[in-house]
Amino acid sequence: MCREKPHFFPLRPQRPLGGTIKLSSKLRSIQLIITVTFTFVAVLVAVLVSFMLYNKFAKTAEENANLNMQQIIEQVNYNLELYAKGMRNIYEKAEAQITLTPDIGAPMLKERMSTLLESREDLVSVALFTPQGELVLNVPGLEMRHNTQLENQSWYTSPRRTSEISFSAPHIQNLFKSKYTWVVSMSKLIQYREAGVLKTGNLLIDFNFGTIDELSKQVKLGKRGYAYILDSLGNIVYHPQQQLIYAGLKYENVEPVLEYAYRSYLDESTGEKRFITVRTLAETGWKIVGVAYYDEIVTTKRDLNQFLSWFLAVVILCVIIVSVLLSARISSPIRKLERTVKQVGEGDLNTPINVSGAYEVEQLSKRFNLMLQRIRQLMEQIIYEQETKRKGELEVLQSQINPHFLYNTLNSVIRLAERGKTDEVVTMIHSLSKFFRISLSKGKNIITVQEELDHIRHYLVIQSFRFKNKFKYEIHAQDEVLQCQTIKLILQPIVENALYHGIEMMPDEGLISIRAELQNKLIVITIMDNGLGMSKETLSTILTGVCKSGTGSGVGVRNVNERIKLYYGREFGISFESAIEEGTTVTLTFPALVSQELDEEKEGGAQE
Amino acid sequence: MMNKRFWLILFCCAAAGFALNSCISSPPDYISTAKTRSVHMIVKMSRGDYWNTVKLGAEAAAQEFNVKLTFKAPDSESDVDEQIAMVENAIDEKADVIVLAASSYMGLAQVVDKAAVFNKIPVISVDAEVGSARVSTYIGSNGYEAGQKSAERLIKLLDAHGEIGIINFTSSTENAQSVSSTAIDYGARDADEREKGFLNYAARYPDIHVVEIAYTPSNIANAEELTRQMLNQHPRLRGIATLNETGSQGAAKAIQQLGLKGIRMVAFDSSPSMMELLQDGTVQATVVQNPFSNGYLAIKHAVEILEGIKVPERVDTGTKIIDLDNMLWPENQKLLFPFVR
Repeated sequence: MCREKPHFFPLRPQRPLGGTIKLSSKLRSIQLIITVTFTFVAVLVAVLVSFMLYNKFAKTAEENANLNMQQIIEQVNYNLELYAKGMRNIYEKAEAQITLTPDIGAPMLKERMSTLLESREDLVSVALFTPQGELVLNVPGLEMRHNTQLENQSWYTSPRRTSEISFSAPHIQNLFKSKYTWVVSMSKLIQYREAGVLKTGNLLIDFNFGTIDELSKQVKLGKRGYAYILDSLGNIVYHPQQQLIYAGLKYENVEPVLEYAYRSYLDESTGEKRFITVRTLAETGWKIVGVAYYDEIVTTKRDLNQFLSWFLAVVILCVIIVSVLLSARISSPIRKLERTVKQVGEGDLNTPINVSGAYEVEQLSKRFNLMLQRIRQLMEQIIYEQETKRKGELEVLQSQINPHFLYNTLNSVIRLAERGKTDEVVTMIHSLSKFFRISLSKGKNIITVQEELDHIRHYLVIQSFRFKNKFKYEIHAQDEVLQCQTIKLILQPIVENALYHGIEMMPDEGLISIRAELQNKLIVITIMDNGLGMSKETLSTILTGVCKSGTGSGVGVRNVNERIKLYYGREFGISFESAIEEGTTVTLTFPALVSQELDEEKEGGAQE
Repeated sequence: MMNKRFWLILFCCAAAGFALNSCISSPPDYISTAKTRSVHMIVKMSRGDYWNTVKLGAEAAAQEFNVKLTFKAPDSESDVDEQIAMVENAIDEKADVIVLAASSYMGLAQVVDKAAVFNKIPVISVDAEVGSARVSTYIGSNGYEAGQKSAERLIKLLDAHGEIGIINFTSSTENAQSVSSTAIDYGARDADEREKGFLNYAARYPDIHVVEIAYTPSNIANAEELTRQMLNQHPRLRGIATLNETGSQGAAKAIQQLGLKGIRMVAFDSSPSMMELLQDGTVQATVVQNPFSNGYLAIKHAVEILEGIKVPERVDTGTKIIDLDNMLWPENQKLLFPFVR
């Protein structure tokens, strides 16, 4: 908006054309500095805080997830432990009953076994075999299949190695004619009586996966996490995707699991980070393995991450908006001020500066406005003074050849000549010639006090002829004063006033006394008359220029006063003392200057 | 001017913010289960343990990969028209992927082309191939190899001499009679391959005579009847090879009822009832495939295709000979008996 201005101010300095200078000064603008600094600090703080928060939260979240998983696995472990214990109890109950029954063929025993079997859904069968593999007892009484190959099955062989109840790996129950089911077998060598004879037999109790499945299914380790069970040899007892693993479509890395009974570790063998927790069942030696996917454990972390990054983005955006607005609010008054000041600098002094904004800016604007007002005042004053000076000079120039005065004087000369008063004519003409010579004084403005006093003396001589000795005059001057400088024609208007207004109307003979003396390096010239004097009112208006004599030589008292003030300074000038019927004393005061250079300088200035 | 700069700064910050965010929240590196996909699985038949196990596998995968599985099958393995209608229906319902076990190699070729080319629906064939070049991948066993395994075992059981009868299956009975004469192969690809594998292997033994190949439209009663006829016509028959599950069950039933202890039989596939027959000695061996894996992998690869992951052109899930001795080996137990909860 300040672009259109140049034609109005052709003299104003043009903007530098270099783009780099423009850019760098733009970069240093308050707005940009505030924006950048504010944004930088805010963003830095926000980033630091969110980074710390993120780390803290992420760590806590990970620890919690870990702990949670371990607790879940612990819980499953505990439940399975209870389950295995329950199974063992059942086995022991069955064993006790078989051992206590005198004859293995007793229907009572079969009945009890059936009850036992029916009490739990997950029990598949109870059977007692001789060490040779012959069936002794079978509940429920299903027909046995041919070619069962039971001698090779682990439940059949393992009791020979240990006296504890052994739990088999999951296998297909192929003994009895029914559906082929996957079972886990408990077996142990026990004592039984057949017709009173104590024999050793292999008691087999099979249970299916119903309860194990139930217990393990509850495990929720994130969306994809799961738990599986291994037996002590590394066979998978239970797995949520058991069939896939059996079909070879899935693979579970069980080797690192087998090495430890109690462990939590990070597994990367599948290419994905998985967190694995291992617990071991004391009863069966089975291992509960919890698998949680790391990226799900750290879901919180990712959520947090996402949240924080959005949060950061929003914060940064807000900070930028706020800082831009704020800096605009701070800098726009300053910029406005700068623009106005620039306009002022380009010379448009009338530009008003009314910038509102921050307190400082407002104050600055106010002060600047005051300053501008003062400058305007001073400018006006200078213009006024210059005008007055010119006018004064013009008047002086005019008064140098006052035709009225010349006409009057020449009339007087004619009258004297007619009367034949030759001597007086000569004196008059001589004075007139001297008067005009000093009046003109080769166009110089500055003359010596001596010349000025001569000038007034000649004037008084001429006037004394005209006023027919109506007054007397005396001129006293100190010798030091005579060579001092003065502006010319400062006494004549005052003396003229004294004559025309003070003495002419006076019945008595008047006296005009002129003194020039040096006081404290000041020239003081007093013109005293004993004429009519002035009233206080007249006295007060005399210098303001309201009253101006119509008949004078044209150079008024005011003119003299102003010329003195303009040349020498405000503190100098004319003062009046007057009383009605007493007379008037006019005092001119101005500095005593002798220097020739100053004289010439002043002269030069005046002639310009 | 100031405004411009302000917006510029704003824009830069916003951009930086977004970049930061997108950096941090990049998706994890596994098959995404965020979106539910619709996969239509059309198999040969709604009955039979074999297809049940395929379905189990597919369901396991569907659950794992968040797939809405629509499982369809005609009542009979020979109902090619019904199967074509099912594929058409899947196209109409805008399935994301179609998984197909074709009852007829050529019979379903056209509709598969239509789905794959015109409707841009990826088609995966499972178990039995289909005569289309537009199929994304095949998942199943190598029928030829399975046939050879069956022949090898049966010939070993017969000490390399004697008459052998084969119970095979194919799409329709009318084609069954003219299978050798027509140029266009309307039968199911897997049946064909198995038969070819068996015959090629048997041809190495001069004392082995394949006296009859009977075709059953996958119906136990029908297979049983065919077996009886075969046994009547060829009293000197020493061995029977069956090339699919229903055929095996029918044949085994006939042998069991006739009480023919001398007949050696090599069956196909592993249903629980087949295990019973194996255990009680009616059937000496069975060639098993991997139905669970077939179902599972079909769905898994379907999801992978949708995810833009490259899948192999052919996945051989393998076959295995199971007999009484090895059926209780832990790894075979796992293969033979689905772990059903």
